[in-house]
Amino acid sequence: MLILAQFINGFTQGSIYALIAIGFVIIFGTMNLVTFAHGEVYMVGAFMGFFALSLWHLPWYLALAMGMGVAWILGFLIEKIAFRPLRAAGHMPPLLITIGLSIILKDLAVILFGAENRPVPSIYGETIKIAGFQISLLQLFIIALAGLLIIVLRLLIQGTKIGRAMRATAQDHEAAYAMGVNVNRVFSISFSLASCLGGAAGVMVGVYYNAVYPVMGDTAGLKGFAACILGGLTSIPGAILGGLIIGIVENLTVQFIASGYRDIVAFLVLVIVLVIRPQGILGKKIRAV
Amino acid sequence: MNRKKLFWMSLIVFSLLFSTGPLGWSAEPIYIAFSGPLTGNYAEYGQNWQKAINLAVGWINAAGGVNGRPLEIVYGDSKSDPKESAALAQKYTSDPKFVAEIGDFTSTACMAAQPIYDRAGMVQLSPTASHPKFAPGSIWSFGIIGTQAGEGPFMARYAVQLLGKKKIAVLYINNDWGIATKDYFIKAAKEMGAEILAVEAFFEADKDFTGVLTKLRGYKPELLYIPSMYNEMALIAKQREKLGWMDVLLMGPGSLYSPKLLEIGGPSVNGLYTSAVFFPKDPRPEVQKFVKGFEEKYKASPNMFAAIAYDGINLLTEVIRKAGTDRKAIRDELTKTKNFPGVTGKITFTERRDVIKDYRQLVIKNGEFTLYEAK
Repeated sequence: MLILAQFINGFTQGSIYALIAIGFVIIFGTMNLVTFAHGEVYMVGAFMGFFALSLWHLPWYLALAMGMGVAWILGFLIEKIAFRPLRAAGHMPPLLITIGLSIILKDLAVILFGAENRPVPSIYGETIKIAGFQISLLQLFIIALAGLLIIVLRLLIQGTKIGRAMRATAQDHEAAYAMGVNVNRVFSISFSLASCLGGAAGVMVGVYYNAVYPVMGDTAGLKGFAACILGGLTSIPGAILGGLIIGIVENLTVQFIASGYRDIVAFLVLVIVLVIRPQGILGKKIRAV
Repeated sequence: MNRKKLFWMSLIVFSLLFSTGPLGWSAEPIYIAFSGPLTGNYAEYGQNWQKAINLAVGWINAAGGVNGRPLEIVYGDSKSDPKESAALAQKYTSDPKFVAEIGDFTSTACMAAQPIYDRAGMVQLSPTASHPKFAPGSIWSFGIIGTQAGEGPFMARYAVQLLGKKKIAVLYINNDWGIATKDYFIKAAKEMGAEILAVEAFFEADKDFTGVLTKLRGYKPELLYIPSMYNEMALIAKQREKLGWMDVLLMGPGSLYSPKLLEIGGPSVNGLYTSAVFFPKDPRPEVQKFVKGFEEKYKASPNMFAAIAYDGINLLTEVIRKAGTDRKAIRDELTKTKNFPGVTGKITFTERRDVIKDYRQLVIKNGEFTLYEAK
């Protein structure tokens, strides 16, 4: 029973990691770039959710929409400022700029919002009993919400024109450009979309742990990136799998070893998987979103 | 401009300046160094210290200062980070104008700075360091909060004898203070016949307690003893509620006694047991003077951390008044302190340079700290 409870804890945490990891996959898949400001986008989304829920007392779906909206705008700006002017400059300069942006956003948050932990009001605080087993409604809610976002994302990528353009750009952006795809627009939308998922994860984490604070993006960004690598860097199902594995491994570590070892074991699993399968669990030779 | 007019104007301005306020002192101020968390995770505690100390210093200087000299506190923000507190200690001890130091907040930060004060020979008076090894660690270190050697058994009696809970699990913060606090509690609780089912640690930056709470739940304890600060306690209480684990009592030491716990924890911390050395409704005149003064100045009621810092600065002032400004003379006089009437109870140093406190049993009811009454 306890193991099952830890599984659900891990699954909840993992589905949040998965949302962050998918953001990395979209950005890496289409643009072939890594961003280190993704954790901060997530933090800004979380703060937006906190303001909406505890200061303006809005319902959760508006808070979620606002968190995602702010993250979308922030992603749009980051792409415009940090990535677009340096498109031809190779990998290094945009990477360094995102590290700088991450520090700026973190310090700005400390100045504007204060360094302390902000309490986020709980939603769905009840638990339900299924077959004599107590499950937190909030955990089910978070898992369901993450699942819903992932389904919407899949529909978007598989079924719409912009989704097709994204897939084409991911395969070969020069060829896509030659075929008349507006690559700049695809990059901008991909980055914004990735940020938007990060913002959603931020709001969900704020509600789940009741804590929002400026440096929250550090570990989350790291875990999300690890989940993305574990899954194979360019595979969305891989990112989901990677996120869930890390979340579940962490909670099982708490159960069977000790709370202090959770990150050690989670990253150890990452290292072992990469040694055995350097391309990640679902990584392929050909890149595809 | 007319030179004569300028002369008279400046004369008036200067005489006004010198007749009131701190510029009115002709004597050199006495400097006391402050090291505490004014920003960061523990900022609320440090800011409360600052408020209480400013209140006390205001009163002291308004009443003529210390032996005709004004008292001045130089504030340094350590964030209660051991690296920062050690750097501040270096700075303070090397400047001869400082006669003594007050701070730091966590035992860890205090003990990191301790060897520096020890080598330089300067009093390090911590309002809150309660690690049993802190004060005995140097002849220059003083602690006035009481140690876990006193609070641990007190809390164990509260849990085991008053509340009658014999199956206990412990979840502690993994730092010097947390380890000492849980050790003394566990030792005393075991002696009283309680069974310690599980002991788990968490780290200072942790926000996710669902895993460790799920694990502890498996042991089916009747009471969960949680040595932590208010931030973590509030999250633990909320996350426990989310997991639907309601058939357990929560208890923590006096470090939790802060209005912030109620603010962050909300209804989730109702029914939480804790203790305090300072209770604002205490009718003693020194307590009421402090509470009223604090409320008038800051429009908020003082908490235990404000009270203990207030005691600390008043004690130092009293000692400097008797012994003068020599660093060694201050230390020697401080060790002789007997029955100093603090707002957190009487202060008498043991030979280990810490104090034995009187605690009060508290429980949170309807979002307020109340005195525990046995049924």
